[in-house]
Amino acid sequence: MKTLIKEFTKGIIKENPTFVLVLGLCPTLAVSVTVANGIGMGIAATFVLLGSSVIVSLIKDFIPGRIRIPCYIVIIATFVTIAEMSMKAYSPVLDRALGIYVPLIVVNCMVLGRAEAFACKNNLASSFFDGLGMGLGFTLALILISAIREFLGSGQLLGHTLIKGFEPIFVFGMPSGALLVIGLLLGFFNFLKNRKT
Amino acid sequence: MNLQEFLTIFISAVFIYNVILSRFLGLCSFIAISKETKPALAMSFAVMFVITMSSIITWFVYRFMLLPFNLTYLRTISFILVIATFVQLVEMVIRKFSPQMYRAFGIYLPLITVNCAVLGVAVLNIDMFFVSGKQVAGSFYYSLFQGICVGLGYTLAMLLMSGIRERLELCNVPKALKDFPLAFIIGGILSLSFMGFSGFKF
Amino acid sequence: MKNNLIVSGSPHIHKKESVSRIMWTVALSTIPAGIAGVIIFGLDALWIILAATIAAVSTEWVFELITRRKVTILDGSAVITGILLAYNLPSGVPLWLPVVGAIFSIIVGKAVFGGLGQNIFNPALVGRVFLMASWPKYMTTFPKPFSYDAVTSATPLAMLKEGKILEHIPYLDLFLGNRGGCIGEVCILALLIGAAILLIKGYITWHIPVTYILTTAILTYIFGAKQFFHGDWLFHILSGGLILGAFFMATDYVATPLTIKGQVIFGIGCGLITAVIRIWGGYPEGVSYAILMMNAATPFIDRYTKNRIYGT
Repeated sequence: MKTLIKEFTKGIIKENPTFVLVLGLCPTLAVSVTVANGIGMGIAATFVLLGSSVIVSLIKDFIPGRIRIPCYIVIIATFVTIAEMSMKAYSPVLDRALGIYVPLIVVNCMVLGRAEAFACKNNLASSFFDGLGMGLGFTLALILISAIREFLGSGQLLGHTLIKGFEPIFVFGMPSGALLVIGLLLGFFNFLKNRKT
Repeated sequence: MNLQEFLTIFISAVFIYNVILSRFLGLCSFIAISKETKPALAMSFAVMFVITMSSIITWFVYRFMLLPFNLTYLRTISFILVIATFVQLVEMVIRKFSPQMYRAFGIYLPLITVNCAVLGVAVLNIDMFFVSGKQVAGSFYYSLFQGICVGLGYTLAMLLMSGIRERLELCNVPKALKDFPLAFIIGGILSLSFMGFSGFKF
Repeated sequence: MKNNLIVSGSPHIHKKESVSRIMWTVALSTIPAGIAGVIIFGLDALWIILAATIAAVSTEWVFELITRRKVTILDGSAVITGILLAYNLPSGVPLWLPVVGAIFSIIVGKAVFGGLGQNIFNPALVGRVFLMASWPKYMTTFPKPFSYDAVTSATPLAMLKEGKILEHIPYLDLFLGNRGGCIGEVCILALLIGAAILLIKGYITWHIPVTYILTTAILTYIFGAKQFFHGDWLFHILSGGLILGAFFMATDYVATPLTIKGQVIFGIGCGLITAVIRIWGGYPEGVSYAILMMNAATPFIDRYTKNRIYGT
């Protein structure tokens, strides 16, 4: 039980996929314009990650080593298609906002990375909690980045204006703002880490 | 289909919606391999080739297999499989015929399969040049051309970045910002300066 | 006797030049354009220049204190960044805008790379494109010259872009600065006085400015009008920020190529991008974007224009 909790919590801070492992950044940067988009993307990616981790850990003994990557990709792509179609059906607005970045979860290095580095070596329970923790860490990172960007870029959070008279810095709603935010955040976390040691 | 359309595709794919700096596709390889010019260049050529070829292949797959049989929901799976197979094939061919070339960018080829730029362009082509299940006139040429231009944009960003990062090796950069963080900040500034090309009209 | 025998690495020839001396001279050479800006746009311009400069210097100071680096605010480079940023702003902007811009310039344009001599991009321009993308409303509202109140007017280039140049602006007005525009870019005469100081002192060479301006002129002459070879090239040289950019920002020591061949390539590249943006782009003016893009290409240019070391 203790190890399961450890598998779950490590993805949130110690091995955070975005800030520590620096994986799967394409969607992180592209959709983090608003918090709502960030949450949507986080949930979709967590779903895919969880599903593929579970399936990979279940059938890991049947997959021949040499073609394991294509197998993982097919499994991941299946879950992505499920996510894509449900999003189209239940939340067309979100689907339009996330655009091509939903099918692109297939090639999100974080998902494939967890299959290759963790799920193919561990049992079902650990893989499940690893996937859940990583997905949660990814979602939290997305929320952090998108909260910064939405607040600075439009003066709002989840669509509510926070400070009256604040002149939004449009740049943070743009691609360049995303790169600047992630760069400065990574630098800031490094700075904290260096302080500690 | 006219020249203006092609020019617009060129400017927007290379500068305004640069794959890396604006669409964030292939960002991982961009950050990881742009430390030196030579591997960056090799990677760029490999990506350019694969993107161009996969634009062609996925167009055929979509036009002649998925559309007629009403299987468009299989787009993601079929595209990623086709791309992975193609990359594998290229790797085998290169290894067989030119070991030298294989050593130059062989190690980057498997990475390209999971390079979001390749799948991204394939999906983008479909989104842009197939309107509600029907192809736009000349969609094949547009797809092909967009594939080439996206590859060019990737190469441009890669070259600029690797040049800059090579020079940064000599700089006294604050410790916390070394490598990744600074690479992102530079990317941000590049992206800001590419905005100068927005709103092009011919 | 002891002091006359100093053993050190090259360079061995000593001159009274130093980084801070050069920087302060450059700062001095920008003063004529600043005075002209204040005369044309009133005291608002002065406050903006002061705000940007003070913000730039204090940001650098604070950053160096926090990261425990050598405090270098007296070398004049932060002052230049502040002044050049202010020169690239319209005089009607609220005072917090140059302050935010200067902070961004120093932090993102300079400090993150390790400070003076290591920045890849011209810091002032980094600040300017940031402001341009963030608050386009303020950055494209230009007060009318010599009116000293809230009357605004479009810049000549913006009028050209919107296709509504009704009357011909006399070249002399453009040359002396009687036109809408940013604080430091309008008075070509004052800019040329400053540029002459730098050229005579040998702090900048003619290669980048001349190739830059020539390329822009030739391209706007060929493609600037509906018919080929009918463009108003003199208008394009005298309006916008071309002169300010070519002499004061495209000649930044650190962010431009080392060799003459590289500098010529740099100038031509800047001219090409500027002309392309002015003629076909969405923005009326492309000087800052052009210089930034060529700054980014500088390490690459250097790599291929480096003088070969003998024997390699």
